[in-house]
Amino acid sequence: MSEKTTLLLADDDPAVTDSLAPFLERAGFHVLVVADGERALEKVTVLHPDLLLLDVLMPGLDGREVLRRLRGRRDWTPTILLTRVGESAERALALEEGADDYLNKPFDPHELLARIHTVLRRAHPGERSLSSAWKLACDGLTLDRRARRATLEQKTLILTPKALAVLEYLMTHPDECVSRERLLEMVWGWEYPAGTRTVDTRVAELRRALGDNPEKPRFIETLPGEGYRFAGQVRALD
Amino acid sequence: MKRILAGLAPFFLGSIASFLVTVLVKPELVFAFRLGLGMLLFLSGGLVSAAVFLAQWAHGRGYGRAFRQAQENRRSFIRRLDHELKNPLTGLRAALANLSESATPEEREKASVNARRDVERLQRLLADLRKVSDLDEIPLETLPVQVPELLEEIIEAVGGLPVYHGRSLSLLIANVPPLPPIVGDRDLLGLAFYNLIDNALKFSGPGNAVQVRAREDGRSVVVEVADGGPGIPADDLPHIFEELYRGTNARGIPGSGLGLALAARIVDLHAGRLTVTSRQGERQGTVFSMVLPAGRNP
Repeated sequence: MSEKTTLLLADDDPAVTDSLAPFLERAGFHVLVVADGERALEKVTVLHPDLLLLDVLMPGLDGREVLRRLRGRRDWTPTILLTRVGESAERALALEEGADDYLNKPFDPHELLARIHTVLRRAHPGERSLSSAWKLACDGLTLDRRARRATLEQKTLILTPKALAVLEYLMTHPDECVSRERLLEMVWGWEYPAGTRTVDTRVAELRRALGDNPEKPRFIETLPGEGYRFAGQVRALD
Repeated sequence: MKRILAGLAPFFLGSIASFLVTVLVKPELVFAFRLGLGMLLFLSGGLVSAAVFLAQWAHGRGYGRAFRQAQENRRSFIRRLDHELKNPLTGLRAALANLSESATPEEREKASVNARRDVERLQRLLADLRKVSDLDEIPLETLPVQVPELLEEIIEAVGGLPVYHGRSLSLLIANVPPLPPIVGDRDLLGLAFYNLIDNALKFSGPGNAVQVRAREDGRSVVVEVADGGPGIPADDLPHIFEELYRGTNARGIPGSGLGLALAARIVDLHAGRLTVTSRQGERQGTVFSMVLPAGRNP
């Protein structure tokens, strides 16, 4: 019996799985491959993989539906959604549906590896992750993800939708170094050439609204040369 | 058939009315008067029919032209896309052949560097294509944007790229009285500015200065990006805002061919105008001019 971490990779395109599976095996994982949503659902239930890599566009049950059903039956298997470029609506929704993280295709396999490690590190087996909670709280700050509203000491914060999305991503991935590039990908969905400044502007907006001093951050910490980190203790409210 | 019937209807109505007036109605009136009235009705029915047919024909022609234009645009887009994909894919195939057939680790390393470069090029193209298609769907932020501040940010970002090290890039802001803010999407406007400045630096030689100017023009903020480069050939000028169009002097210069198209679309979304003037030969140079309405919702 091997003690290897098991990944379930669900993607209908052999162009992806044929190269990605050996890559992940080489990285030390035990990889199971399925080509559609029904089988993914079945294997998760039977084999209890440590992590699920789920493509969004699959024949039959698509990745989002698989995730919705899993979360619906309170299965909190850590999940990374793999999306195809071109679906801007996917972005906002994927986080809402309780994916622990997601990655836009085409991605660098090393980037996927880094995310897998981060998600596994954060996961507590059998427990619900912050990514699938609708309401989050941290030290006087609450975030209602469904209502798209953040409050500080009961007062609603006035934030642009992008700043709120930045806060959402940081709060659902606390204590994790999030690079500016990743925030761009998650919140903007695009790579902007002047992207790092674009992110900094929104973080500055957030800090102003939160009254957070970058020198002595209560919420958002700058990691020089690396990115940002949500420094507070986040808990799920519902 | 329906359209023909609709067109003929006024003519028939006119004919019937004229017949009724001439033959049946009010025999006590003078026949000549009745005949005159009948002919008038007959003629006006005919005229209305002719006008309807003319309008239908003109509409059909306009529609046909727009349709043919759209088809032609689509064909040239696919032709250009095919061209843009061909080169990196050829490079990739060659790199893969080198990777599996090379004898030395150095050669293999070189092949994988080349393969990665080609993949990155394809990825950039895909990312830009996505922006083009996303622009029509994503919600536009409508917040006040301070143009000078944004331009400073963008100039710092473009000017800081290693490829443009040592280039002369300056910003002139006519700020008395202060420029009004424009209402729009800061990130998208930043992208448009970035693309224009990057474009100017890319296509003017290393010895040529690039100047970014902002001023107020009545109800608009005008942003100009000017360079003293070799200018754009007159034949290319009408096409440079087309998606994937690559002018004759763009050959051999890296880029997706979508930067200007994106900038134009973004300006368009802000109810603004993007124009270009260019001169070759003596006193050569190019000026892109962006007119953005001040302080109004786009």
